[in-house]
Amino acid sequence: MIIFASLAIESIGAAPKPSSLSVFPTELTLRADGQTHRILVTGQLAAGIESDFTKITKLTSDNPSVATVTADGIVKSHKNGNAVITAKAGGSSAIVKVTVTESTVISRLNFVSDILPILSKAGCNSGSCHAKAEGKGGFKLSIFAFNPESDYQNIVKSSRGRRVSPASPDQSLLIQKPTMRVRHGGGMRFETGSQTHQSLLKWIQQGMPYAQLGDPILTEVKLFPAERRYAKNSLQPLLLRAHYSDGSIRDVTQLAEFHSNEKTIAKVDENGIVDVGTTSGEGLITARFMGLIDVSRVTVPPDKLLPHIAYSVLPRNNFIDGHAYAHHQKLGLLPSDRCSDAEFLRRASLDSIGTLPTPDEVRAFLSDPSSDKRKQLIDRLLVHPAWADHWAVKWADLIRPNPSHVGVRSVYMLDQWLRESFRENKPYDQFTRELLTAQGSTHLSGPVVLFRNRRDPGDLGMHVSQVFLGVRLECAKCHHHPNEKWSQSDFYSFAAYFTDLKRKGQGISAPISGEPEFIWFGKGSTVLHPVTGEAMKAKAPDAIAVTIPTEVDPRVSLVDWMTRPDNPFFARAVVNRVWAQFFNRGIVEPVDDFRASNPPSNAPLLDALAQDFVAHRYDLKHLMRTIMQSHLYQIGSLPNEHNLADTRNYSRAVRRRLPAEVLNDAITSVVGVTDSLVGLPPGSRSIESWNNKYTSEILDAFGRPNASADCPCERDTRTSLVQALHMMNSRSLQERISSPEGCAARLAASALQPDAIVTEIYLSAYGRFPNADEMKISTNAFTEAGATRKTAIEDLIWALINSAEFVFNH
Amino acid sequence: MSRTNYNCAGIGRRDFIQLGLGSALGLGFSDILHLRAAAAAAKGKASPEGIRVIMIWLDGGPTHYETFDPKPDAPSDIRGEFKPIRSNVPGIQYCETVPRLSAIADKFTVVRSICHQDPNHGGGNHYMMTGAPTPVPVGCGAFVTFHPSMGSMVSHQRGVRNGLPAYVTAPSETRSAGPNFLGAQHAPFVIGGDPSNRNFKVRDVVLPNDISDGRATTRQKLRKSLDRLPRLRDSVAEDPLFGFDSFYNQGIELVASREAQAAFNLSLEPDHVRSLYGMSDFGQRLLLARRLVEVGVSWVTCNYGGWDHHTNIFKTLKDSAMPKLDQGLAGLITDLDQRGLLDSTLVICLGEFGRTPVVNKDGGRDHWPHAMSVLMAGAGCPRGAVIGATDWKGAYADENIHSPEDFACTIYKKLGIDPHQLLITNTGRPVSLVSGGEPIKELFV
Repeated sequence: MIIFASLAIESIGAAPKPSSLSVFPTELTLRADGQTHRILVTGQLAAGIESDFTKITKLTSDNPSVATVTADGIVKSHKNGNAVITAKAGGSSAIVKVTVTESTVISRLNFVSDILPILSKAGCNSGSCHAKAEGKGGFKLSIFAFNPESDYQNIVKSSRGRRVSPASPDQSLLIQKPTMRVRHGGGMRFETGSQTHQSLLKWIQQGMPYAQLGDPILTEVKLFPAERRYAKNSLQPLLLRAHYSDGSIRDVTQLAEFHSNEKTIAKVDENGIVDVGTTSGEGLITARFMGLIDVSRVTVPPDKLLPHIAYSVLPRNNFIDGHAYAHHQKLGLLPSDRCSDAEFLRRASLDSIGTLPTPDEVRAFLSDPSSDKRKQLIDRLLVHPAWADHWAVKWADLIRPNPSHVGVRSVYMLDQWLRESFRENKPYDQFTRELLTAQGSTHLSGPVVLFRNRRDPGDLGMHVSQVFLGVRLECAKCHHHPNEKWSQSDFYSFAAYFTDLKRKGQGISAPISGEPEFIWFGKGSTVLHPVTGEAMKAKAPDAIAVTIPTEVDPRVSLVDWMTRPDNPFFARAVVNRVWAQFFNRGIVEPVDDFRASNPPSNAPLLDALAQDFVAHRYDLKHLMRTIMQSHLYQIGSLPNEHNLADTRNYSRAVRRRLPAEVLNDAITSVVGVTDSLVGLPPGSRSIESWNNKYTSEILDAFGRPNASADCPCERDTRTSLVQALHMMNSRSLQERISSPEGCAARLAASALQPDAIVTEIYLSAYGRFPNADEMKISTNAFTEAGATRKTAIEDLIWALINSAEFVFNH
Repeated sequence: MSRTNYNCAGIGRRDFIQLGLGSALGLGFSDILHLRAAAAAAKGKASPEGIRVIMIWLDGGPTHYETFDPKPDAPSDIRGEFKPIRSNVPGIQYCETVPRLSAIADKFTVVRSICHQDPNHGGGNHYMMTGAPTPVPVGCGAFVTFHPSMGSMVSHQRGVRNGLPAYVTAPSETRSAGPNFLGAQHAPFVIGGDPSNRNFKVRDVVLPNDISDGRATTRQKLRKSLDRLPRLRDSVAEDPLFGFDSFYNQGIELVASREAQAAFNLSLEPDHVRSLYGMSDFGQRLLLARRLVEVGVSWVTCNYGGWDHHTNIFKTLKDSAMPKLDQGLAGLITDLDQRGLLDSTLVICLGEFGRTPVVNKDGGRDHWPHAMSVLMAGAGCPRGAVIGATDWKGAYADENIHSPEDFACTIYKKLGIDPHQLLITNTGRPVSLVSGGEPIKELFV
């Protein structure tokens, strides 16, 4: 491999000289009642790095009687008029224009926009305090303040109003408890005399108004800076601004909650100060205020960046490579070298068809001189009969019903529909349409079983949005999603797509001897918003509501929306899922959790994949071909000095334990004897199994999604003690190894010399030839004291299938 | 502790294996057993982290009338065919079906007042096994999981000890025994088969029949020299091969350990002990459970089904179900007590609910979650007590009423696990391990 001289980024001293200075915001409008608002000064440094200069610059107001500014950048209003704040440092300067106006509304505190935020910030309505299901100490608040009316009731009216005393505001329990003047299980939440204390006091003095007509409504929050490249070991205060319906803007940084998704890259404290660490990489800070969120992206470039040539010499097989390298270059990562042909054959076969290559296939592929043999292999794999079964299992993981809910016949019907769909390579939009708009008998139609297994519109909505849109609405069922904009309205209006279903027949069925259920479109119930009681109209998250004619199945309207080429979720969600199957990790991870606070690791790459997928009419094989043909998919799993720590940007292949069914089938191909599986004809492969309830020690040890569990759970891909014990000691596995019908017996009875036998076993288990040392050790096994040809072969097979090179895809 | 065989000089093979098993402590297996026994003897009370559990799960919902809550004064269509008998604790009477347990009633407690509202097997199983009700109604045939079982949670908290799975169930998994979002590694390790059978062997933890020790050693040597995929040593690389290697090492140690292997071998148990439990599959399974908790398994569930007596309840109970239960359970409690293990072992026996007051037309009783009896022994439960009561007809828990949440809190507290801690699900949602509930204070003495 080539070693590149690294380009060190200019190191940053204590007070570097900025090439220019800027201030945010550049214009500020404040009410005259002493309103405060922070300004932030930014200096431009080398290599695109920006640094906070607020405390370093000299800040002055040209009209202190109107507005003053502290050394920390806090601007405070005093009276009507205009002022200009100037920031100066190192010969550069920038200004902020401040306008102070008399507020048209009398300075009146309102429960929703002023009081709930400070209670949230104090943690009163967190899940472990008063927002617990049963409340705490007899006092209950809604979690994250999703139900302001009930919170108002509980604070002002419940317990005979003893929580607030208008006659003597400072004696109110609402103040006495959190300041610990009266014993409080939750401890001190704010201090006497603090801003929070003052605001509560003022609000009680004003007679505890809830909200009045014409009070401005919070419309959005914006976090500054939206993105920034930081030097290591730097600090950055964030500024969160709340925008209201009357056009006013408030600095709510002190009332917001902050969260960092990569604490090794950057931490954030409760005041919104970002503390950048010493690790390079990317992170994201989320700020939440009253159910709204915004994010700030953090990039910490590495000390050493590689020169452009390091990337321009890499092979670019298709658009995937360009997008990946661009990202690598930004982060100073260099992809590993191309993997060997043997590694590629094994990896590509396991990933696309869940099957090991046979010894003959390995020989043929390794000796094939053609330069495009990997491309040819990919084409062969995509038309292999096992392709459909392998991918049907992956989709079954997501939608396979619970047999003790729908009966085994229904489970079988849906399974067969899935396999048939993949055999036809049904375009994914058509596949989705057939499934989500299904009608008929569960004993005749596979897809309709989805609606037998999940019966409640909310449950269906949650499931469909998570599986097909990558949007988790689960949290929004009970309260506003804590890290996303989804509200209860989003949850219940999505559920409303699934209300117009008629059902007749057995319904929930016993596992065996179940009768069918008939499900069809017909006017049904309505979904009510649990807080407002409003009847919800079907609407997808982030979509514009459309009126669905009464004769149209709302599910059809939903699929119409999903499969529009410009749908922001549908194609991205599926390409991300498929990507994760080949690269171990989604570009958005978890693969079904798309949200602003969990952005893609490489957005241009995800967008390009989605566009290409839509342009090729939702053809899954096209998508897989594109992925497998990329150079990125064909690199090795051994790291170089520039990518050891990378586990998420695809600069080296990641080792993955084989999934249960694939592993069991791989064992079959090495030992030559299938596992007898309940519910399947003899000789069947594990990837043909259709009911996870049927016991299998090996499949259970390596983990299948639990059909009883109520979530489209991802498979557990970890290793465990039970797996090791099973692989080493299982009686049934030993029987398969030593079976008179098996490979060991066949090879022992053959005329082959030990070295030819060893080669055969290596080709079959590892998909490669043994090296000289391995050959020596392996052939020595034939001459061990007490060994026969057959036991030596069995022991060698046992040793190989118990090794990491076999159990992992690498 | 007199043994000094973990001195660096002159370590023999056997000692080496023992060292490996003690993993974190660097102690041998029998050292650990000795230490435990010594600690138990010295203090008389095990620390919560050292408490192990044997749960006897009577799937189907055992009758409370014909076990621990007889109602002799109720009308005949309620009180049934059996009579109460006196126990060895003055004032406590149990049903005539449990003579052996009645004779050792001074060693355990029965709670007569745990109840809930879910009359379906699926839902009742889930509620009692996890401490959480099902969020949606589920059918009777259902095997559902919405929340981690108590056994899985214990596995999650304690992890693998001495190379042994923390959570074992025999002979099959009960309905809601799974780990849910805690992950597959906390699923119970299932030991199938009938331990009363002469050829019984615990699967996967002992070598297959036709593989000798010598051959096993050959195989391991071969494997070691051929397993050559390079390991990425630096932890920043997050190489999954690390976990793979450590589990293999634990597994190899387990198979090589004589003490652990002995635990799986019931034939080492003297005849008088085996017969104390009864020579039934159920009785011998309880004996196996005792041997497993002795070597460090944290939670063993013995799944004993067939308690859904809608028809012909009296004959079925008298002929087979109750004699097996009575002998096995009394044998277990007696044996644990004699060995000084009852203070460090919690024995729990229950099903998903009780049964209806009025005997139905088929001579059976139907599902009834409003009253049930739960037997608890050891780990600081009172010796010789009854907690709570049902009304005079046995229809409703009436006194000192407790929920399944209280029951789960009690168990978690005994094991040193905070029942109200927040867990984060695989979708990132925080949930309480147990929502509400309080430990049943009378069960802590």
